[in-house]
Amino acid sequence: MIERSVQVINRNGLHARPAAEIVKAAAKFRSDITIVRDDLEVNGKSIMGVMMLAAEYGSELLLRADGTDEQDAVSAIAKLIESKFGES
Amino acid sequence: MHLLRWEVPDVAPRIIADDAIDAEIERLRDAIDGAKERLAQVRDRAAAHAGPEEAAIFDVQIGILDDHDLRNQVESYIRQNLAAEKAFDVVLHEWRARFAHHSSPMMRERVGDLTDVHIRLLSLLLGLPDHDPVEVPKGAKAILVTHDLTPSLTVQLDRDAIAAIATEAGTRTSHVAILARSLGLPAVVGLRDAIQRLTGGEHVVLDGSTGTLVINPTDAEVAVFHHRAEREARDEAELRLLVAADSVTTDGVRITLRANVDLPEESTLAATSGAEGVGLMRTEFLVVGRTAMPDEEEQYRAYRRVVEAFDGKPVVIRTFDIGGDKLPAGGFPHEANPFLGWRAIRMCLDESEMFKVQLRALLRAGMHGDARIMLPLVVSVDEVRQAHRLLDEAAAELEERGVAFRRDLPLGVMVETPAAAMSSDVLAKEVAFFSIGTNDLVQYTLAVDRGNVNLASRFTPLHPAVLRLVKRTVEIGRAAGLEVAVCGEMASQPVMAFALIGLGVRQLSVAPRTVTLVKHIVRGISAELAAEAAEAALASDNAAGAERQLTGRLRAAFGDAWFLGDGLLVS
Repeated sequence: MIERSVQVINRNGLHARPAAEIVKAAAKFRSDITIVRDDLEVNGKSIMGVMMLAAEYGSELLLRADGTDEQDAVSAIAKLIESKFGES
Repeated sequence: MHLLRWEVPDVAPRIIADDAIDAEIERLRDAIDGAKERLAQVRDRAAAHAGPEEAAIFDVQIGILDDHDLRNQVESYIRQNLAAEKAFDVVLHEWRARFAHHSSPMMRERVGDLTDVHIRLLSLLLGLPDHDPVEVPKGAKAILVTHDLTPSLTVQLDRDAIAAIATEAGTRTSHVAILARSLGLPAVVGLRDAIQRLTGGEHVVLDGSTGTLVINPTDAEVAVFHHRAEREARDEAELRLLVAADSVTTDGVRITLRANVDLPEESTLAATSGAEGVGLMRTEFLVVGRTAMPDEEEQYRAYRRVVEAFDGKPVVIRTFDIGGDKLPAGGFPHEANPFLGWRAIRMCLDESEMFKVQLRALLRAGMHGDARIMLPLVVSVDEVRQAHRLLDEAAAELEERGVAFRRDLPLGVMVETPAAAMSSDVLAKEVAFFSIGTNDLVQYTLAVDRGNVNLASRFTPLHPAVLRLVKRTVEIGRAAGLEVAVCGEMASQPVMAFALIGLGVRQLSVAPRTVTLVKHIVRGISAELAAEAAEAALASDNAAGAERQLTGRLRAAFGDAWFLGDGLLVS
């Protein structure tokens, strides 16, 4: 199992479209993926879960993956969040 | 006629036998696959005629249907012998409630997507007709009847298939009506129980000028409507001849006519309507129905397009008037009293980073013509001062980036509150122009919600209080050497245009398709007659009396002309 923390740096936060992109990226991996914000833990492959995080600009998230491709899974999702989802 | 029942149907609980469980789960999965397929079609259609950014909401809805947690929860209810439709219904109601009561506005904003998914899947499971407007074939000329025109429905509208819209919600000045107007679709709104009284497939005639929907008309009625449609087409053709004519009264007073523009796509229509510029470009289209705020580049392109279409003529762009009945991206707190709430300039000043994105885009668009900035819902000179400061900051930021922009864009205010009208003397010292927004000025002066169907007859623009506020604003603005325009939809009504000219207004901004009608009025009256009529209207003790004073003189000038039939809603 590996963990990595990441900050939401796009202005609009994890609203619907970014949430959909995260879930789409997470679905490509076999590992279980969990995203944690404060004391809320959600399934990274569930759009409802990711939206439930209500992670606005500046929030700190913890990405956790457990499985054969955990390393790739965590870096792919972290990269996506750090890319600001194409927002300027 | 195409009836769009976009409401969550009632689902009766149904228990299934143990040996039917596997088949029921299969049925759920098939329905989800069917709904996803449909959403993909809807997305592609919306992307084609509204753009990929607007279409993105359908990807989110597909994601919701793919959600493992959601599906597992529904399937676990089915394994407890609940039929698929009830299992799904229960889970969606739970999720919607959780989203609706969430403390984050970002979450509450998504309830609409859950509701759309809820309706779509239940319709499939219950074998209800597929009501997507997308299904209407091109060329059908269907009249769409629905409860309300939500953003997700709007992006699906194919103008080649839909000829007109009728909704249960809204009034002639609410957002749905403005949207229909900007789409160039005839519309009737506020038909409170239309959906109950229709079954779908009936023949209907929609009469936008009287606001009626005639169900299953007789052949004789249809003939009358055809006759009238032909006559109106003839009248319109006659008015088209006025496009290039001067907008001058019989006694030589020039009235500048400009167009109101809701969408950049309308600028071509507006530029060929005979309008001498844009008196009000609304910018809410950039936000409504979207999941994220537009960036500077996108805004700049939209403003530039309109400014360039008018080739050096003034284009007055109103900064975001969001909140209230226009729900923006990013989500906004629910307010008990949104029209008196955190909206328009108030929200923009508080969210200054977001506002500066818009100001930077406007300053850049200023390079391409005569762009002017207008602030909505101003009640105090402090707001104007703050906006000036932010405009300075926006300019400094552009300078630092080395981007081309014009620094001296005129900054004016909408006069749409009694506060602004009463303090127009104070405001006049710090702004470049006034533009009176009649709809909101009436609403705020009379404390009458313009979206409330039950109050439609109390929404009286010719109320003495409103006329006095307009008069005061015009006198003070003109004395200070400022341009005082009127940019409400109402200025396109002959009686109202006549009254405004009489009150001294010399710039009117109306919907593009009514520019020539107003020009026809201008060319048929003298400013002196209008001033005398306005004087008499001001001396009346109520709106009905003022209207009589005005229509009496207008009829004397025009006889019983067809356009005088569409009077004001004075009871």
